[in-house]
Amino acid sequence: MMNLTKQIREQAKKLLEEKKVDLVIGFGQGTELARTTPVFIDSPEGVSALTWGPFCANNLAKYLVDYKNAPGNVAIVVKGCDSRSVIRLLDDNQISRDKIVVIGVPCAGQLEWQKVADEVKPDATLKETVDNGDSFVVKTSTGDHTFNKKDYMLHRCLVCENPNPVIADFTIGEELPVKNYAERFAEVEELEQLGLEEKSAYWDKQFSRCLRCYACRNVCSVCTCELCVFDQMKPMWVSKRTNLSENTVFHITRAFHVAGRCVDCGECDRVCPMDIPIRKLNQKIHKDLKDLFDSPTPGSKEGLLSALGEFSLGDPEEFM
Amino acid sequence: MLKRLLEYVGFEPGRLTARWISASEGAKFASTMDEVTDKIKSLGPNTKMRDEIL
Repeated sequence: MMNLTKQIREQAKKLLEEKKVDLVIGFGQGTELARTTPVFIDSPEGVSALTWGPFCANNLAKYLVDYKNAPGNVAIVVKGCDSRSVIRLLDDNQISRDKIVVIGVPCAGQLEWQKVADEVKPDATLKETVDNGDSFVVKTSTGDHTFNKKDYMLHRCLVCENPNPVIADFTIGEELPVKNYAERFAEVEELEQLGLEEKSAYWDKQFSRCLRCYACRNVCSVCTCELCVFDQMKPMWVSKRTNLSENTVFHITRAFHVAGRCVDCGECDRVCPMDIPIRKLNQKIHKDLKDLFDSPTPGSKEGLLSALGEFSLGDPEEFM
Repeated sequence: MLKRLLEYVGFEPGRLTARWISASEGAKFASTMDEVTDKIKSLGPNTKMRDEIL
């Protein structure tokens, strides 16, 4: 992993020195061992802040939207899942291709930082991380720890579809094989099997916890409306009240608004402070899109139309 | 898609109906409306998302 970090830094340095880009967005070591923070680097001297490893869970693609009207070009470090977001942003005309430089890094999976932090001494500092295929070895100042991917990875990484970036101007390191540790839609299917009352009770329990902090919306790389219906006061389309009914409206609306564009990066799930399984709503939509229209995951190829923005005569017509 | 999503979060199947009816299909419109109202009456009042709104 150290090697990859070095290569990312070199690439970033080169781009900045040659003035190909004015800014590099990447991952930097956070205040805790098992966390990284987004870093924004505008000078070749700053590239030492960049890092890479199994703690780079953030999808940085959303930041590109902030720079769409800014002068200069932007380079961004992406994993496979993040690269789907980049494609989706390009296809949605949110950013122009000549404005961005994509530094793609094949990703061996991301660990859940809480689980790692529970086992590593709080004052330990990170020395190195090594990918051993089915596990990561995290070397720290207080000893080495081995983390099984199956047990310690983010849930979304267990069903990873694109470990290798699907769009990249520069690829860092070797391509990795697709390796899944679970069935992609197993959780959705489990929920679908439940009776009506049970389903209702399950989601009521989840939605009633929602704080309406909108972290899921803010982090989402396909939520790019400049004025969001949930912020609007005049007219106030949706009530701001935080109760079960309004939270249900919010979650169904949010999920459906990104239907056919959601790239299944799982960031909504990760950022939720109340641990609401938001991704299960989007995964249901992914599953239905696959069943009904046989559509691939949005963003997995360049030039795909949004699944619900496309019409073919062979589409099932349940409403005729 | 929306219908499936609603059923997934616990709405009764049949609570939402979507039909494509041309302006020239008066009879189809009438019979569809009858079906929908009968269906809704048999389901009874909706209990989800019914808290007081602001």
